[in-house]
Amino acid sequence: MRNIKDLIQDEHFKLLTFLITSARGCVDEPHLYGPLRLVDAASKLIKIMKQEGKTVDELDRILAMIEEKKHLVMYDEKEFIKFLDELVAELVKIVKSA
Amino acid sequence: MEAIKGRRSVREFRDGRIPDDHLMTVLEAAIWAPSGSNAQPWEFVVVRSRDTIEKIKLFSPGLFGDPDALVVLCVNKERVKGRGPKELVAVMDIAMAAQNMMLAAYSLGIGSCPIASFNKTAVKELLNIPEHVDPILMVSLGYPEKWPEPPRRRPLEEVVHHEKY
Repeated sequence: MRNIKDLIQDEHFKLLTFLITSARGCVDEPHLYGPLRLVDAASKLIKIMKQEGKTVDELDRILAMIEEKKHLVMYDEKEFIKFLDELVAELVKIVKSA
Repeated sequence: MEAIKGRRSVREFRDGRIPDDHLMTVLEAAIWAPSGSNAQPWEFVVVRSRDTIEKIKLFSPGLFGDPDALVVLCVNKERVKGRGPKELVAVMDIAMAAQNMMLAAYSLGIGSCPIASFNKTAVKELLNIPEHVDPILMVSLGYPEKWPEPPRRRPLEEVVHHEKY
């Protein structure tokens, strides 16, 4: 079994704490912060997949989109929602091409 | 006005250590903020250890990037006890101190971001913050990877009401 020091540096564990802390935070936060936390979690997950050699170019593009546009939630709600639609469209493209 | 209009919430930081004296200037700016009944209810926990910052990040979904330093702004409830309904005022005092900090930081070329989205219980535990002290806000500090564009402001005509609403 791994020791605790290794565990807290593990990217999966970091994602786990992010998800649980966000779950609690979302109770009191603006409702669009829920989608923000989810796409931020998705970004963290893609980074883990990258480290594990599991990504494809299309997924890298989704990661870049998230990093570029996730903060729109703070400035332009309409554009943020449009960006979420774009992310889904990108995912559909990946699935359809399989 | 230059600092007020130029300050941005910075969420991407480049490497670079903030000199200690600059950090102290930022903290000094905080203690010169006004406070209700001059209670000065604030306590500041300054975190520079990379290891501790990483632990705090685990419980702070609103903390983006890798800042060089974190300041956790807390209310010392003992200092507002017996002053009537002062808890809300104390939170406002913290906000004013935070703004002073961020403007001072900007004037020194340091980027900052106020963060409310963190788990207060977890941060309190990680930093050994005593029971009578509550973390309210964090300010991340570091040299910006880039200064973000200014977000749109609601115009004066929309928000200012002369004489009557």
